[in-house]
Formats: sequence, C-alpha cells, structure tokens
Amino acid sequence: MMNRHTEARLLSYATPVILSAILLGLVLLATFFGDKALARMAAETLIRVVLVVGLWIFVGNSGIISFGHAGYMAIGAYCSAWLTLKPQMKSLFLPDLPLWLANAEWPMFPAAIVSGLLAALVALLSGAAILRLSGIAASIATFAFLAIVNTVYSNWEGVTGATSSVVGLERYVDQWTALGWAVAAVFAASLYANSASGLALRATREDEVAARASGIHIYRHRLLSLVVSGFFTGIAGVLLGHSIGVLNPDNFYLGITFISLAMLVVGGIGSLSGAVTGVLVLSILIELLVRGEQGVSVGAAEFALPSGTQEIVIGLVMIAVLILRPGGLTAGREFAPRSLAFLRNPKTKPKTAPN
Amino acid sequence: MSDITQLFFDAAALGGIYAMAALGIALIFGVMNLVNFAHGEYIAFCVFALILPSTDAMSVMFLGRAPAIVLIPVILGLGALIAVASEMLVFRHMRNASPVAMMVGSFALGFVIQNTLLALYGGRPKAISLWPDLNMPVELAGASVPVLQLIVILTTLVVVTGLALLLRKTRIGLEMRAAAENFRMARLLGVRANVVITGAFALSGALAAAVALIMATQTGVADVRMGGQIMLVAFIATVIGGLGSLPGAVAAGFLIGAASVVLQAYLPLDARPFRDAFLYTLVIVSLLVRPQGLFVPKSARPRI
Amino acid sequence: MSKLGVFDLSVRYGKVPALNEVSLSIEEGERVFIAGPNGAGKSSLLGAISGAVATSQGRIEMDGDILTGQPPEAIARLGLSMVPEGREIFGALTVQENLRVGTGLRRDRHAVQTDMDEIYSAFPILGERRHAPAGALSGGQQQMLAIGRALMTNPKLMMVDEPSLGLAPKVVDQVYDKLIALQEERGLTLLIVEQSSVRAARVGGRLILMRGGAIVGGGDAADFGDQAALTEAYFGKSGAAEDAEAKA
Repeated sequence: MMNRHTEARLLSYATPVILSAILLGLVLLATFFGDKALARMAAETLIRVVLVVGLWIFVGNSGIISFGHAGYMAIGAYCSAWLTLKPQMKSLFLPDLPLWLANAEWPMFPAAIVSGLLAALVALLSGAAILRLSGIAASIATFAFLAIVNTVYSNWEGVTGATSSVVGLERYVDQWTALGWAVAAVFAASLYANSASGLALRATREDEVAARASGIHIYRHRLLSLVVSGFFTGIAGVLLGHSIGVLNPDNFYLGITFISLAMLVVGGIGSLSGAVTGVLVLSILIELLVRGEQGVSVGAAEFALPSGTQEIVIGLVMIAVLILRPGGLTAGREFAPRSLAFLRNPKTKPKTAPN
Repeated sequence: MSDITQLFFDAAALGGIYAMAALGIALIFGVMNLVNFAHGEYIAFCVFALILPSTDAMSVMFLGRAPAIVLIPVILGLGALIAVASEMLVFRHMRNASPVAMMVGSFALGFVIQNTLLALYGGRPKAISLWPDLNMPVELAGASVPVLQLIVILTTLVVVTGLALLLRKTRIGLEMRAAAENFRMARLLGVRANVVITGAFALSGALAAAVALIMATQTGVADVRMGGQIMLVAFIATVIGGLGSLPGAVAAGFLIGAASVVLQAYLPLDARPFRDAFLYTLVIVSLLVRPQGLFVPKSARPRI
Repeated sequence: MSKLGVFDLSVRYGKVPALNEVSLSIEEGERVFIAGPNGAGKSSLLGAISGAVATSQGRIEMDGDILTGQPPEAIARLGLSMVPEGREIFGALTVQENLRVGTGLRRDRHAVQTDMDEIYSAFPILGERRHAPAGALSGGQQQMLAIGRALMTNPKLMMVDEPSLGLAPKVVDQVYDKLIALQEERGLTLLIVEQSSVRAARVGGRLILMRGGAIVGGGDAADFGDQAALTEAYFGKSGAAEDAEAKA
C-alpha cells in the first residue's frame, strides 16, 4: 500500500510525462502525416513551448509578470551566434568581437548550453536588482530591462550587427531537436515547481505577508526561479536563431513578449499544463490566421488580411480569457490523474483535467 | 552659458512631455490600481487621428487640417473617448480581477490598438506636418529655443496647475482623491464608482492626446511604435515618483527628462546611441536605493 | 413597516459560510446592538446590508426598497450610512474634505453647511483642525470624524462597526455620549456592532447576540449586563471552541 506522501510525489511526476507524451504525439503526427510546412510548424511550436515553459518557471511560481524575458532570449540567441558562426562571417559582419570569440567555432550543443548559462547569469544579475522590488514595480522594472537589452543589441554595431540582421546561423533545429529541449524544459519546470524552493515560492504567490511571517526567504527563491527560467528562455532564443537562421534585435522585443504572455495567460498561469496548453492552442490559431491570410487574395493584393490581424485576434482572445476565464483554459490545474488508485484497481480510469 | 540655457529648455520641454504622460498613468493607477499599458497607444491613436487612413508613405491630413481652435478640443475629446471606451469594453469587466491580471489585460489591449493602427495605416513611419511654424527658433537668453519648446513648458505648467485645481477644488476631484485612497469606503459614502473611474479615464485620455499633439508637432512623424517608448518612460516615472502619487509622477517626469538631456549632452560620442540603456539603468539603480519611489505619497500606504 | 428588514440572509466567502439564514427587523428610531465573538458574522452582516459584501441568499429591505444586489453607492443614496470598523478615514484628505466626501449624494445642498456646522459644534476638535490632514488626528478624533462623515450623508439608518475598537475606555465613553446625543437629536435609527455587551447594557437599547453566523438570542440590552446572563444566552451548556469557525 502506498502512503499518501509517496503517491503525491509520484503524481507530481505524472504531469511532465503526460505533457511530453502529448508533445511527442504532435511531432509524430506532423512528421509522418504532414508535409514539410507542418514539420516546420511543429518545430516552431516546440520552440515556443521551451520559451513559455521557461517563462512559466518564473512567472507561474512567483506570480510576478515579467516583460523582460525576451531579453534573456536575445542574450542566448546572440551568444550562440558568436560561438558557432564561421570566423570569416564574423570578421566581416561582427568585426569588434574579441579575438577568442571571433575565432570560436563551437559545436552546436555545447554552444547552446553555454548560451543558456549566459542568459541564466544575466538573469541572476538583473534579478538581483529587479527582484528587490515588489510585484508591479518589479514588472515595470523588467520592462526597463528589456528596453536596456534592446537598446544595447540594436546599437552595438561591431558585436551584434545592430539593426542589420546577423545571418548565416546553421539551421540545425528541426522538430526533433526542439522536442528534446521542450521535454527537458517541461521536466525541469516540473522538478523546480515541486522542489522545496518552488513550493515555498508558490506559497508566497498566494499570500506574501503570511509567507514572510513564516520565515520564507522570498527574494532568494524568486531569484533562483528566475535563473532557471532565464536558462531555458535563453535556450529558446538559441533554438529560434538556429531555426530561422537570422537574428535581429527586434525579433526579441515586444512582439514575442506579447505572444509568450498571451500563451501563458490563455493556457493559465497557474499551472505548467496551462503554459503548454496555451502554446498549443494559440499556435494553432496563429497557423490558421497565417494560412487564412495567404489563402485569400483579393485582386492584385498579396495579402487578404492586413498585417497586424494576427496580433489583433490574439489580443482579443487574451482579453476575452482574462475576463471570462481568469484562470486560463486550465484554470490552474495540471494534467494528472486524480490519484494513483487506478494502479491498484484497473477498472478506475485516470481522469485528466481540465474538462 | 547659452549652452546651459539651451540644455535647460531642452530638459524642461522633454520633461514636460514625460510628466504629462506619467500623470495620465498615475491618475488611473491611483484610482483603480491599474497599470495601464495601453496608455502609449492612446497617444499613438491620437496622432494617427490627424491623418487619413492609408498605407502610403505620404500622409494626407484629416483632422489635422482643422484650425487649432477646433483641432485641439477635438483631439483631446478623442483621447478621452478612446480611454473611456477601453474602460467600458475591457477594464470594467475586470473590476474584481487582481492588479496583475488588469495589467496584463491592458498590455493586450495596447497590442490590439497598435495593430489596428498598423492594419489601417501600414507599418512605415509617415511624415506629417502639424503646425510646422512652431519649430521656428526664437532667441532667448542667448539660446535659440524653438517656439514649441516654450509652448510645451507652458502647456505642462497649465495642465499640472489645472489638474491640481480640478482635484483640489471640484466635487469630482474630491471624489477621485477619496476613491484613490480607499475606494470601498468612498462608495459606502455614496461616491459612484463608475463616475469616478470614467472621469479618471477621460482625464487620462485627454492627457495622452495633449502629449500626442506635442509629439506630432515636434517630431513631424506618425509611427505606429511611437507610443511604446514614451509609455515606458512614463511608467518608470510613475514608479520612481511613488506609484499613485501625482506630484511624484510630475517630478519624476521632469527628472527623467533632465537626466535624458544631460546624458545626451555629456556622454562620449561613442556611447550616445546607448543613452536609453544608461537611462534605464539609472532608473533601476534609483529604485534599488528607494524601492518605494523617490517621492512617496502622503498617505504612504503600501499599494502593491 | 419596519425600518430595516433582513430575511433569511446568507453570505459565504468561497466555500466558507459566514452568515447562515439570518433574519432580523429594526424599527424606526431604534438603537440595536449586535454582540458576539470574533467570527460570529457581525461584520459580514453589516457588510451585506451596506452592499460591500455579496450575499448568496436572502433579501434585505429598507423602507420598502430592496437593498440586496445593489452597489454600495446606491444603498448609501437610499439613506444608509456606515462607520466602518477601523474608521477608514481618508488620511490624505483634510478633516473638512472627509466630511464633504459623503455629501455628493444629497439633494438638499443648502443644508450641507448647516450640518457641517452642527458636526463642528458637536465635535469642536474637528472644527479646530478642519484644514489639517485627517491622518494626523488621534484614534478617538478619527472615530469622531468617521461618525461625522457618516452623518454628513444625512442618513436615515446609520451602522457603526465596533466604535470602541482600539480606543481608551474614557474615549469610548465620549464617543458613545456623542452618538446617543446625535441619535436623539436627529431621530436616527442606529445599528451598532459592539463586542462588549456590558457596554451595550450601559448605553441601553436592544441587543442581538450572534455566534457562528447565526442569531442565537437577544432582548433588552440591560438584561445582558453581567457575564452570567451572557454566558447562558450564548451557550446554554458549552461550546466556546466553535466560535472561530467563520471568517469575520
């Protein structure tokens, strides 16, 4: 007979397993039953999973909205470009790189790890300052952080190529690579959320005053979650860069901040399953809108729907969810069996939330 | 000497714009704890209302053709209208939501407004010419100062004084101040929540419109993205000023304007493109030193 | 017709019940005390009547108007005023501005000045400090300001939540003296939440005892002046442990 504690522990592992299985299923479907475009869409979606799950590790646990994560993404993406681009390319487009970076020609995987770590380091430094602020003031400070990163990367001509794009990144990220990282992010997020630090942090999300009174060191836990979050967000930047092959500071600014927050809100900030659900639902919506735009052409015009339609629709969906279903689609619940009773009694089927 | 004078006018004019934008944000935050990320888009909306919808690079004046005596009240009214409409359509339905959820909602709304402008007007910045004569310089205390800068400084003074009078001397002002301090209690005393909130949004929108008119004249450009940058600065001003404090927002707006102008003037040439990065870093540092803001509201209650 | 009628009123916070089918009736000009331990539902009852707390069941009427489901400002406009627990004065506003907040709902604008003068003569300290920020007043002065502020709405029914909270006994005496004098002068109906039934007995009026979200007894306040009577009315036998079950 399992005791309740063991059961709860096992249950907490069920969520990432279920989520990973869903993601794997999608990739299999897209790969074997879809065309190239669908495989690309799967890769794009999975990169968003890495991003939004990375974002969730901080936002979902701390309850603080961050507008700054696109900044960590940019840091990861550019770092990987510095490490992996061919030296001839770098001497041409990024002439001010220090010599050891200019000559670096790293393999992709170690470069990704180091880029993620750099993003995590920046998260540590920026968080050490920003997280001293409370709630909403901290959110506004994250916005300032994003603006700082954008200003620097948009103007540091010899190192980032400024507003002229960095091109020539090896496009090694397909749906399988992205799946690997998405699964890693989901498991890491689940492990963190169920760790002592994650649990303590979520207690503070419910009631900061009570948590403080019980001696929980909020600042330290927030910072830790931001560092873990920064790592995966940085990785998402690496993946995006090596998926489209081109980097521009504006790819990592308000647009992606908006999309990632929309996904988090629509799925439900309160749970990891919510983060993944939001990505899947909005990715499908985006794909439909994009295809709709291309499919219908009026006269000589190339696009039937003017640019911006996507964001308008997503924005409206986001507002509707905030008003009608404030907890998001999953309303804070995880995909998990209610109990492990079905292991003992085969007749009971596991129930998964949400309905 | 004249350099210093020049710098002073630059700083005061820029600070005045920031202060007005910050006031618009602080007003709403004070009354309903909403950090309104759509505020910058109210500004952009008012600028684009001056010209006809089209995706061409050249703009054709629409409302902008009207004489100033008509144009100014119409644009101010339009700003008030979009702010009030956004309250009715979005924020009114989120009254019981947390400040964080409302903030996210306003962020989404801002995106919707911005992309609606994008769909109607296209993404390329457009040249507009609204009152170009106002950019003519006049000689003043040894510096050459554009007339517009003087007008901005004067307008800021008028707006700030007017708002202070409105808040101190009128019924709706009294109710707004009471509601800002304790909305529940104000309602128990018969203060109508909808009237106060609608009033605050109307004022906030009109302030956004004033900023829009000034920016349109000064820069001569209508850009879909123009709301974002000014809004960020305005937010930072409201945080530095102490969230919810109107005098704090004004003071911080001028402070940021001054810091920005001084950085632009004295940073080494190579570092100037990074001015905003230095500015925002200064801001984060100042928040670390005084997390509650440089100018704490009198009531000094923790609001967040 | 009674001044205030509460019929089968229930309030819950999420799943936690705070009031359970409470009914009561108050006559014009009456003075009614509600006593009971923490968590008895006293503040929830006042909150529900004033419109600040949502009800889940039941009906509230005042002078034949149905209050249930109306927002607080509409209820205030019908002639109900509230002196909340902890006073909740507007600290950044001046004393005079505090008094004026609640006058926006009045049609008889000309009487506002008269009323304000009356309050200044009833509470001279408020008159002296009329231009000072209210946050600078002492606790007792703030309580008087909260009472004055509620009176400025020209209410027919005034509810006072724990007027003695955090005040020295001598100050509480003063507050009650003023309250009673004002009631008699104006023919107000008063509903007062008061933890101390001894205090209620001394002031005089009708007493309603609450516990666990329900009314458990009541009568002439004078009959509840000593602990024995109170204990009997509450518990009959025993059971103080259940008191804290509902959130106030």
